[in-house]
Amino acid sequence: MEFRDYYQILGVSKTATADEIKKAYRKQARKYHPDVSKEADAEIRMKEVNEANAVLSDPEKRVAYDQAGSHYHPGQEFQPPPDWGTGFEFSGDGAHGSYADSAEFSDFFSSLFGQAGGGRGAGEHRARGGDHHAKVMIELADAYHGATQTITLRGARLDPAGHVVTEERTLRVQIPKGVKEGQHIRLAGQGSPGFGGGAAGDLYLEVHFRPDPRYRVDGRDVHETVPVTPWEAALGAAIEVPTPAGSVRVNVPSGSQAGRKLRLKERGIPGKPAGDLYLVLEIVLPPAATDKARQLYETMAREMDFNPRQGMGA
Amino acid sequence: MTRDDILTGVLLDEVALNLDELACACAVEPNWIVERVEAGFLGNVVAGQITRWQFTSTELARARRLAAVERDFEANPELAALVADLIEEVERLKGRLAAAGLPLA
Repeated sequence: MEFRDYYQILGVSKTATADEIKKAYRKQARKYHPDVSKEADAEIRMKEVNEANAVLSDPEKRVAYDQAGSHYHPGQEFQPPPDWGTGFEFSGDGAHGSYADSAEFSDFFSSLFGQAGGGRGAGEHRARGGDHHAKVMIELADAYHGATQTITLRGARLDPAGHVVTEERTLRVQIPKGVKEGQHIRLAGQGSPGFGGGAAGDLYLEVHFRPDPRYRVDGRDVHETVPVTPWEAALGAAIEVPTPAGSVRVNVPSGSQAGRKLRLKERGIPGKPAGDLYLVLEIVLPPAATDKARQLYETMAREMDFNPRQGMGA
Repeated sequence: MTRDDILTGVLLDEVALNLDELACACAVEPNWIVERVEAGFLGNVVAGQITRWQFTSTELARARRLAAVERDFEANPELAALVADLIEEVERLKGRLAAAGLPLA
């Protein structure tokens, strides 16, 4: 486990005052807040910043951290002192204290404060374990048919001696048919273990669709761009269209213009009610790459009385 | 549990969260939720009356966002609600742009 320099993460000196730490934290929280940040690793950085602030803004934890880490550099292999946790009294419950998402803090945090808090508190009271949250990315087709997704999560648990240890676990989760973007799947008992015989917390999976340039999703409605030839649009045609629900045969009405939407009722994401699938026509011109193709375009230019800019006064 | 076990969860909205469950999921006290519902920042409040104490996926996401903004920026509940309103409005507009096939920028 690597040593974490919380001062470096917040960008403050080791002599920073509480006010300076607060200001630095707000600045970093503004920069990496997942709701607004455009940084690629915003979520990870925000967790680091939250963890650093959880320690440095708490006078008890800061003193303990300063003592334990006084001889370490960032990234250096870290081992808590053998007598770690004695001589300190923490107001919270260690890794399960008042900070939301503290269950998602690093091994390093857990080794320092989880162990100290857990060793004191375990067995003394009965408490439900904390809930965990994670995001899961699925294909749009998974929402149509349902799927099984394998996810890997890192979390903390108490060993029989009451020490916090981190572990990686792999779960296979059933993604239910009809799930929507942003919807949560709640897995009972898959959060943090409880204390003193208390029930385990739950795991909430927030579902998101992997971006796919073919599809745009709005609730249960799905919009799909469908390329058609100029003659299919002009003359009408029955065409085969691949959709998330499988291939369908669709009649393109004659005289269709680019952007025309064909609504396939209840062919969107399944549910009560099911969404609709909108096929948005995109007219694709064949390239004038051969003599024959050029001749056909020239024939149209000569024989068709058509001015698409007429409405502009041209 | 073996690696081959497949976990089946509950899809929120088909089953709503009650007050205590929402509070646990947000790592806050139930009273924190009650105060924000009564203030109209969370849940269904019609003409000052709370219509139900059941919460959907959308409300879970909003409650977590309110809690995060209040905590991270030491914001008061009114400011956190304003930030959440604006973020949700931006998300709605982005969704409409995407549905229209238009680029975000």
